Amino acid sequence: MSTQDKIRKIAVIIYCGIILGLTVLLLAFPKEEFSQNENRYLAKFPEFSGESYLSGEYMDSLSDWLSDHFPMRDWFMGCKTAFEIATGKREIDGVYIAKDDYLIEAYDTPVNTQRICDTFRNFYEKTDQSKVDTRLMLIPTAVTIYQDKLPALAPGEDQTATAKGIYDKTGIPSIDCSGKLYEAVPFGQLYYRTDHHWTTFGAYQGYAAYCEAKGLRPVPLEDFSAQKVTEEFAGTLYSKVNDYHHVKDDIVVYTHPDDRLTVTYTDTGEVADSLYNMEYLAEKDKYSLFLNNIHTLVEIENANAQVEDVLVLIKDSYANSMVPFLVHHYRKIYVFDTRYYKQGVSDFLTEHDEVTDVLILYNMNTLDNDSGIRGIY
Amino acid sequence: MVFSSIPFLFFFLPICFILYYAVPFSWKNGILLLFSLIFYTWGEPRYIVLLLFATGVDYINGRLMERYGADKKIRTIFLCSSVIINLSVLAFFKYADFIISTINIVFGTQIKPLGLSLPIGISFYTFQTMSYIIDLYRGTIRAEHSYLRYLTYVSMFPQLVAGPIVRFADVQRELHTRSTDREEVRQGILRFMMGLFKKVLIANRVGALWEEISSLGAGQTSVATAWLGALSFTLQLYFDFSAYSDMAIGMGRMLGFHFHENFNYPLTAVSVTDFWRRWHISLSTWFRDYVYIPLGGNRRGVLRHLRNIAVVWFLTGLWHGASWNFVLWGVYYGILLALEKYVWGSRLEKLPRWLRHAYALFIIVFGFVIFAITDAGKLGTYIGLMLGLAGNCPADSRCLWYLYNYGMELISACVLACPVYLWIRRKVEQMKGGIGVAVVGIGYMMGAALLLLSVAYLVNDTYNPFLYFRF
Repeated sequence: MSTQDKIRKIAVIIYCGIILGLTVLLLAFPKEEFSQNENRYLAKFPEFSGESYLSGEYMDSLSDWLSDHFPMRDWFMGCKTAFEIATGKREIDGVYIAKDDYLIEAYDTPVNTQRICDTFRNFYEKTDQSKVDTRLMLIPTAVTIYQDKLPALAPGEDQTATAKGIYDKTGIPSIDCSGKLYEAVPFGQLYYRTDHHWTTFGAYQGYAAYCEAKGLRPVPLEDFSAQKVTEEFAGTLYSKVNDYHHVKDDIVVYTHPDDRLTVTYTDTGEVADSLYNMEYLAEKDKYSLFLNNIHTLVEIENANAQVEDVLVLIKDSYANSMVPFLVHHYRKIYVFDTRYYKQGVSDFLTEHDEVTDVLILYNMNTLDNDSGIRGIY
Repeated sequence: MVFSSIPFLFFFLPICFILYYAVPFSWKNGILLLFSLIFYTWGEPRYIVLLLFATGVDYINGRLMERYGADKKIRTIFLCSSVIINLSVLAFFKYADFIISTINIVFGTQIKPLGLSLPIGISFYTFQTMSYIIDLYRGTIRAEHSYLRYLTYVSMFPQLVAGPIVRFADVQRELHTRSTDREEVRQGILRFMMGLFKKVLIANRVGALWEEISSLGAGQTSVATAWLGALSFTLQLYFDFSAYSDMAIGMGRMLGFHFHENFNYPLTAVSVTDFWRRWHISLSTWFRDYVYIPLGGNRRGVLRHLRNIAVVWFLTGLWHGASWNFVLWGVYYGILLALEKYVWGSRLEKLPRWLRHAYALFIIVFGFVIFAITDAGKLGTYIGLMLGLAGNCPADSRCLWYLYNYGMELISACVLACPVYLWIRRKVEQMKGGIGVAVVGIGYMMGAALLLLSVAYLVNDTYNPFLYFRF
């Protein structure tokens, strides 16, 4: 037998070894219940029954279980990403591998604009504008503000045009914070490198634009006490891309020394004196520390506000890091998550006379498929 | 269950083959049958009944034909009984809704579609069982006496769901006695791995590009992007389907069977006629042997020949799916083949070779657009975009972005669509001594890396449909 044949023989043995080795690991190793990286529970081993077998369900569940508990799952996913980046790919699963270590979520062509406009307009027309001042704020994401950081040739879809179309069609007075964000580009990090949210510094620019539009005097950033609570934030885009060598983010939180807050989570009954739940720092999804993740309705009272204004905030998670700035200007803020609040915010407004302001705040990237928007009106 | 999936590769496959090699020969068909039935029920437990019924019908007709078939007329009765039942089952499960919707359109009726899901592999196994009964009728094979052995042939998992269409005549001897020689097994493993790489690392990736381009709005699609989309679909389909055949042939060899080749670098064809000698060979030879030649082929004058071409290509199109675009795709090839035969074939041969390649490739890529888009309106729009009729720009930076972002896959696909691998292997085998050994060593090491990478993609996978699964 020639040497070439011998090598081939050994190679085949190695290949079979890889397959058999992984099979043994897959079947024999203890299983995790939860994937931190993917933020979900992994499939459970299915129970056999004649019925589930005949419907095909049993085999489907078994397939899911086998796929979910594959040995070294994270390592393999990292390998795939490392290979793709090494061979020049600059978009992975809808995330651009951008300059300066930024991961930037691509913006898909919106398809629900008409429906969203209708909902906003219905809501706006039903609220009594002589009593409340309603504003609409659509936040551009990194794909727009950090356009310069996108990889060469990347098709950057235009969020600005979509936003403008929505502002025009709904008729709600708009607050466009993109100018403030663009101006702030040289002075700090506006978006996380590994997450689809804006940073607290980005949120401050949004707050500044809000104040300007409303004729309020923004509190200078220096007056807040800044605290870097983590340097190890690996956000949603990090999980999507699985590049384990990617730099992590800092999270800086701001608190004003004068604020005396009572934060009531009406769905769970919890009451806190801070807008931050630092317990989330121990978890993967650290952005949840802002406003304690997801709650149907949060009531925030500031005993030191020195004003009588009351704000209703209809929003997505972008607002969670802007609320710490807003609390300074309102005696009370009602924060709604309309994905879960089913009674209709319009009705809430008719029942609560003390409300003076309404702010609708969404980011442009998730606006199009935000299921909460249906719940506004 | 698809071959390129974690449950298949790291559960079904190892267990099946370990058992298969562990048992003595007399048990091997039993193990193969058992695992084939498990494989089938993994995807579609209920339709197993249909598979058992179809094989039962052919088996019984085969036995009857053998017993009472001295007279040709009697043989014809059994042949017709088998063919009619097979085609009726196929027509009902695959084409009922298609026929209903066509009737609704033509006559303006409101008949409700049945909404049946297509039994996996039905187009393939129907053709296999029909080849058995027709060959038996012609007297070129002997009837199989064991139902279980016959069922093993039809349900054999490597080729059950997506071909190649293996004829009974080709495997009859091996069903009775075959050897699992180590060298054969090694060859089979390597062939299987080749298929796995083609499917996971190329077909799925260029498929993702096609997915991206085909879902773009008309305003975002330049002429160049539209053609890139068509090319990526062509590459996806070729790599997907030929990868499946590679894996089937590979596993066949691991089991001791020898299936015929199903593809012979079809994208390097120099004419449409040449393309169909290289693409899905088991299907085109099936139609040739069981439809075209019995109809008289090209021997009974031009008109009869044209009619035969029309029939065969209408059926070929229809076989690919219950939708008019597949029929259109078949007819498109029928017309082009007739034109090559009677109009420009001889002139074509005088052209320089590269021009003939370009001609064939153009027709192939354009044809697969008809294949790809089921909806007539969308198909029209897409062809408009390819021809620049929609007022779209000839080229844009988005097209460059796709070329860049999918560069690796596109280059590998274009290179591997040509017989480069064979060429390299021949060269390396000629290399003597140290260099040859080093090259071979590096090559097989890369194989291991590609295997791990394929696993990485499968683990990561959200995108892993086998295109030929539903035909």
